[in-house]
Amino acid sequence: MSFTTPDMAPATPELFLLAAACAVLVADVYVPQRLRMLTYHLAQFSLVIAAGLCLALLPETPQVTFNGTFVADAMGALLKVFILLATYFAFFYSKIYLRDRGLFKGEYFVLGLFAVLGMMVLVSAGSLLTVYLGLELLSLSLYAMVAMNRTSITASEAAMKYFVLGALASGVLLYGMSMIYGATGTLDLAAIRGHVAGLDGRNMVLILGLVFVIVGIAFKLGAVPFHMWVPDVYEGAPTSVTLFIGSAPKIAAFGMLMRLLVDGLPGLHGDWTGMLIILSVLSMGVGNIIAIAQTNLKRMLAYSTIAHVGFLFLGIIAGSEAGYSASMFYIIVYAFMSMGGFAMIVVLGGAESEADRIVDFKGLNDRNPWYAFLMLILMLSMAGVPPFLGFWAKWSVLREVVASGMTWLAVVAVIFSIIGLFYYLRVIRMMYFEKVEQPAPLSVGADMRIMVSANALAILALGVYPSGLLALCVSALAG
Amino acid sequence: MMIDILFYFFATVLVASGLCVITVRNPVHAALFLVLAFFSMACIWLLLEEEFLAIVLVLVYVGAVMVLFLFVVMMLDINIARLRAGFIRYVWVGVGVAFFIVVQLFFVFSAKQSGLVDAVPPARHGADYSNTEALGRILYTDYVYPFEIAAAVLLVAIVAAIALTMRRRPDTKHQRPSEQVAVRREDRIRIVSMPAEKKQ
Amino acid sequence: MIEISQLLVLGAVMFCISMAGIVINRKNVIILLMSIELMLLSVNLNFVAFSYQLGDLAGQVFVFFILTVAAAESAIGLAIIVVVFRTRQTINVAELDTMKG
Repeated sequence: MSFTTPDMAPATPELFLLAAACAVLVADVYVPQRLRMLTYHLAQFSLVIAAGLCLALLPETPQVTFNGTFVADAMGALLKVFILLATYFAFFYSKIYLRDRGLFKGEYFVLGLFAVLGMMVLVSAGSLLTVYLGLELLSLSLYAMVAMNRTSITASEAAMKYFVLGALASGVLLYGMSMIYGATGTLDLAAIRGHVAGLDGRNMVLILGLVFVIVGIAFKLGAVPFHMWVPDVYEGAPTSVTLFIGSAPKIAAFGMLMRLLVDGLPGLHGDWTGMLIILSVLSMGVGNIIAIAQTNLKRMLAYSTIAHVGFLFLGIIAGSEAGYSASMFYIIVYAFMSMGGFAMIVVLGGAESEADRIVDFKGLNDRNPWYAFLMLILMLSMAGVPPFLGFWAKWSVLREVVASGMTWLAVVAVIFSIIGLFYYLRVIRMMYFEKVEQPAPLSVGADMRIMVSANALAILALGVYPSGLLALCVSALAG
Repeated sequence: MMIDILFYFFATVLVASGLCVITVRNPVHAALFLVLAFFSMACIWLLLEEEFLAIVLVLVYVGAVMVLFLFVVMMLDINIARLRAGFIRYVWVGVGVAFFIVVQLFFVFSAKQSGLVDAVPPARHGADYSNTEALGRILYTDYVYPFEIAAAVLLVAIVAAIALTMRRRPDTKHQRPSEQVAVRREDRIRIVSMPAEKKQ
Repeated sequence: MIEISQLLVLGAVMFCISMAGIVINRKNVIILLMSIELMLLSVNLNFVAFSYQLGDLAGQVFVFFILTVAAAESAIGLAIIVVVFRTRQTINVAELDTMKG
């Protein structure tokens, strides 16, 4: 038999990250306790190098290697860079959070690196097999990270719920994949696409597979009616893990959606659009309305995530290249906004307490006007108020939905986001118009101050000049 | 004909043991029924000439995963009676949902459009066919990238399981033989000179 | 001879048994985990059946990887159960109600 070594060059960032994660794992075992921060610095360093490799190897044309299981294209490269960037911020906030609470452990960052590897595999998957393996690598690392704080009752409960529903979702997704494999006879997404295009008439096994796959994706993304786990996991997990789950994996989930539906099954566009419309409208409605009743900020942001996932679907429903790039823009913007929001909870929390109730933000303006201002930016941006970045994200998605002739859907989305405005404004009212008896000043390190400010001010600055990032997303999908 | 009879036998055992897994009271019994289900499934795979996976299923699942399950069940002292409360309440919901899905799927698989009804079973391989060899040939060549990711998944499982369950008890007492050996007489005994007391 | 539709119906029945198991045993996490194993087993049967029918080995390779991942998954699942048991002295999901759902 003949065997030619596959071209490994396009997968260099993944291979590097795998080697780096193993190296960090070994280093963590041998460094003495007082140098424990070294693990963190090594992890951050490998993220930076991996991002550099992604940019350096930016492919002009899509490259397929490893017998079709790996695809390197501009969309994948861009998503990977933003995943790595989001993880860089998330690790930074995690370090502060874990250090202040005495929970700092090297395994946390090792598992985080493996989760990032899973995400990178996921966004450049060329076959159903790599989609599944990337997803599992990501999910298994996240389950463990949620449970990492072993003495916390809520964290272990949240890990349990996350695990059971995540495993169920994987099972359903796999059942769908098995049907797609049976109907097309291949695992390769490009071959599936070709096979579906050549079909005359409807294949029921294929449609059945599609239904199960979409249910599986909806579970993983937390779209209504498969959202039950999201609020519990967001609330129960340590804030450092919540902000990680809420950011980079969402970008990866968008990549998975694109690979499965747009790369693999564009021939069934008519079928999956209908399902996504239902998921989208339900998610926007339930997410925005239930968020109003929440008193815990992490739960509120969880419901807001559900609503944002509904918005994410809109661009994909539009079904055009412009629509997909609008969705990509949306999810990247969302990842950084939600991370900023959770980072504010880290800022306000003390060594013992979590400032995760909305009343904890009472009178923040008196305590520290600068952080109140940053939170104001983040909340208004999430609500989609111009001129913040969140507004442009919503606007670009809505424009594409209208362009595809579904004006009613855009109107529904606007109505729900106006309802959503209410709960974001409640946080702002707490900060500026409610008074506390004795405003205690915040004690935050300079490094944290710089990072949170950078995060929030980037959203403000990009809101004034949104065209650059949007153009980047458009060019990534134009290939 | 013989193959059909065997298939129906193993399928019946599989479904019956599956039902037992989800309904028996005792988790240990459930685990044992799950083992039976894995065995029957492995037999069905053997009938389909997929020997390698059948063997892996028995070795990995019955040999490793189910032992792990039993170990955890035994280790945690679980109060079964409390876990069973409310079982009856959910049982009808569960049966209803399951029956509904089975009927739907049955219609899909037996519908004309599925293209499955007229499918002719493939011819059987000869005695010199090696399923293990055929799989081995592609596993390390065409699927080398998924293989590497699977290795990373297993590494994550190891790291996670250790990080979650290993605990260092601060009050545990260890023996340190090297220090015991190194002890000199002066470390342990102090000779005090005391003046002799006068007899009263 | 064994026909593909027989295998798929068997797979569907197993899938639904595991679904019912998850609904019925929502209090007992150990059985819940076993139901998830059953679900993966039914998916494996589907892949094996299609691989048999199509004469294509890719399905069997997929099953190989599902078995690997499922083993890793149950290891992590059981580790989480142990953590929950240590903090709460119970694995009853219904008693896991610190957060309001």
